[in-house]
Amino acid sequence: MPVRIWREPLDADKIKVSKAEIHILKDQCKGCDFCIEFCPKQVLETSEELNIKGFHPPIVIDESRCVLCDFCTAICPDFAIFVIEKDCKEGC
Amino acid sequence: MTKVQLQETEHATPTESIRIGVYVCHCGLNIAGSVDCEAVAKFAATLPYVVVSKDYRYTCSEPGQELIRSDIKEYKLNRVVVASCSPRLHEPTFRRVCEDAGLNKYLFEMANIREHCSWVHLHDRESATEKAEDLVRMAVARAALLEPEEENTVPITRKALVIGGGVAGIQAALDLADTGYHVYLVERDPSIGGRMAQLDKTFPTMDCSICILAPKMADAGRHPNIELLTNSEVQEVKGYIGNFKAKVMKKPRYVTDECTACGDCVPVCSVTVPNEFDVGLSTRHGIYIPFPQAVPSTYIIDRELCLNKENIIVCDKCIKACERQAIDFEMKPEILELEVGTIVVATGADVFDPASLVEYGYTKFPNVITSLEFERLINAGGPSGGHIIRPSDMKIPETVAFIQCVGSRSERGHLYCSNVCCMNTIKDSLLIKEHWPETKIYVFYLDIRAYGKGFEDLYKRAKKEGVLFIRGLPAEVIEDRKTRNLWLIGENTLQQELYRINAEMAILSIGIEPRKDSAVIQRLLTLSRTQDGFFMEAHPKLRPVDAPTGGIFLAGCAESPKDIKDSVTQASAAAARASILMAKGKVTVEAITPRLIEENCTVCGLCARVCPYNAIIFDKEAKRVEFIEAACGGCGTCAAECPFDAIKMRHFTDEQIFAQIDAATQLDAEKKIIAFCCNWCSYAGADFAGVSRMQYPTNVRIIRTMCSGRVAPKFVEYAFARGAAAVLVSGCHIGDCHYINANYQTLKRVEKLWKKMERLELNKDRLQLEWINASEGERLASKIREMQAIVGSVSAEEIENSKKMMRKG
Repeated sequence: MPVRIWREPLDADKIKVSKAEIHILKDQCKGCDFCIEFCPKQVLETSEELNIKGFHPPIVIDESRCVLCDFCTAICPDFAIFVIEKDCKEGC
Repeated sequence: MTKVQLQETEHATPTESIRIGVYVCHCGLNIAGSVDCEAVAKFAATLPYVVVSKDYRYTCSEPGQELIRSDIKEYKLNRVVVASCSPRLHEPTFRRVCEDAGLNKYLFEMANIREHCSWVHLHDRESATEKAEDLVRMAVARAALLEPEEENTVPITRKALVIGGGVAGIQAALDLADTGYHVYLVERDPSIGGRMAQLDKTFPTMDCSICILAPKMADAGRHPNIELLTNSEVQEVKGYIGNFKAKVMKKPRYVTDECTACGDCVPVCSVTVPNEFDVGLSTRHGIYIPFPQAVPSTYIIDRELCLNKENIIVCDKCIKACERQAIDFEMKPEILELEVGTIVVATGADVFDPASLVEYGYTKFPNVITSLEFERLINAGGPSGGHIIRPSDMKIPETVAFIQCVGSRSERGHLYCSNVCCMNTIKDSLLIKEHWPETKIYVFYLDIRAYGKGFEDLYKRAKKEGVLFIRGLPAEVIEDRKTRNLWLIGENTLQQELYRINAEMAILSIGIEPRKDSAVIQRLLTLSRTQDGFFMEAHPKLRPVDAPTGGIFLAGCAESPKDIKDSVTQASAAAARASILMAKGKVTVEAITPRLIEENCTVCGLCARVCPYNAIIFDKEAKRVEFIEAACGGCGTCAAECPFDAIKMRHFTDEQIFAQIDAATQLDAEKKIIAFCCNWCSYAGADFAGVSRMQYPTNVRIIRTMCSGRVAPKFVEYAFARGAAAVLVSGCHIGDCHYINANYQTLKRVEKLWKKMERLELNKDRLQLEWINASEGERLASKIREMQAIVGSVSAEEIENSKKMMRKG
């Protein structure tokens, strides 16, 4: 149905969007970049910074893009990244 | 062409004793008004082989037909020529008359002196009569060389394919299935239902749209004879009437039939996008069902949106949420090969995008919405729960303005009327009045077209309810920045005064337009389209649901804009037409297919290379060329390509066409234009010019071939050798050829001829090529006017030169 779609949907504010809080344990990272490569929303990127082991850990470029799929947590060989859902009851 | 062949054709004489009867029809005053029919009949009597020639008031009437039947017996006629209307109209009628009298129907010939003569030369009786005589001369010359032919019969597969699952497709599928035929109903979207499913109420009865559609959808979904293929697209169609082979790609849903549509998967899905069904007014998730009544009632995963790309399962939330384990990311697209006998095209239409009309401010002003958005807003199941709300502040507006003809009846959109918008607006205005009676409603219109059953009553009711109808569309819509209200400024043409009206919301009554990708279906099924872009029917009055291609039928908005009732009517008609074919179980194929003249054939394979249907088996080693008759379309491009005259196109033989050229150039050749027109587009275009009474010069003589691909270079050369001033080769537009792509060969051949003429230092403007479709009568008329100038500029010397040069070959 190729109809022009341009408006913000009327229910945009009612749709529950999970807000993520991404935690990276920098010094556990060995710079394999799996989390960066496999993130479906391109939330992460390699940082300039060096960690204790001499690797570049990832940094978060846009936390709001994260949809909490948790794939980074699952794929990280070093248990160096995890995501929790923010409690937005009192606003985020 | 060699000299020897030319002489042969010039002296081509029929082998048996030919007895021709000629009947010149007055068609009331349609022909007799500008042609002296009596004189034409007298003239015809002087032509070779003509044993009887009569003029008659209405030849197609029963007494007229009886006259021919009794003459065939009395005068022992073995050929009949009727000079009347287009063969596209009455050839079948007169062929039947011949058959009734025991004459093979291929021994009948028609001279088109109405569409191609009297109607296009209304004011020049002398020249029109002269032309009519020429046309009869051509028809008689051809008739003398006609041969009896036997038609083959082909079995019809008793299964149907319906393309498009809107209300028209559903109705056609149900009717066919109820008749007892197996139906494949193919729908591109995840659910059937189409546009009608999006509407709130229907006019003029104000029935709830989905309430009357949903039962039909469910019926189609569970009918034992209907195989529902949603989320599927037709990729290829081969074959011919009765024996189509279609390839359909069934795209994966990634949700199996185990799905109970419980919806547990939806809240866990973390991606969202505007919902197409609600025209973007609400959101949906990556896993979704298009609307609650969807058939099949199975969820679907939008892989474009889903986090899981290709082979990596990144997110498994829906998989975990589904108790029935109905989610399967491993599903792959399937290609189904279907064998069907008939096809119903019900692919529907798109809506006009009003953003291009900047003066209305759509996409700039939030409170300007389209009628389709309105349908979703007023629908209780829609994004606002049935409240019409202003998108800017979600308030219910107190004044509403409808603007009609947005994208219709205007050069800035489409020229045609979209047929449904007037009544849709009237219905919408009544719906607003029903819910919020205090609302002030303005309707800005050009004309209110309330032509159908019950329509006028509804219009009256709206007026009675206080809806204000103002004639004259706003020239501009301006937004008040603060309140987001709209000012509509324009002229009330009935009262001849300017208006400046404030409304809290404006609804653009958008028109219907052909599907943007209509060209795909058109190419797959070798259909034609009218100037408007909708699919063309075989005859606008008498075969309104048949496509020009045999075995294919049209239903719904794919054919033209229409409302639900008309779509359903047409769908039932299409189903009935398809059933007629399938009930018979067999179809006869016109005997216009080629025959091989083996002694001339050198097994070069050129014919096989140009055949659009791959209907020629060519085996160099076995020295074998063979035609597959059932697959052949009869375009004749093989015969035009053959350099050795080894292919005889039945009913359109070289000899017959040469005889027509001979007859057309017998008198005043140096003033004449010989035009070769293909049966489906250009000849029909010339008919259309006639029906529309478009006037053009009288010196053109049209020769009909099935396809422009039949026009061999030798025909053109021969016309010049006979001294014709100009030649027009005309066919369907490139890409629209009725014979898939045979007109590419036409283009190649004409280009070659132009080069040759240049080489021979002949004026190559004398050969013109023009693509004219069946609705482009004016294009044909203006082409002939344009060529008239060329004819005037051709010197006697040039004609002599071309006579000599072309004769040499």
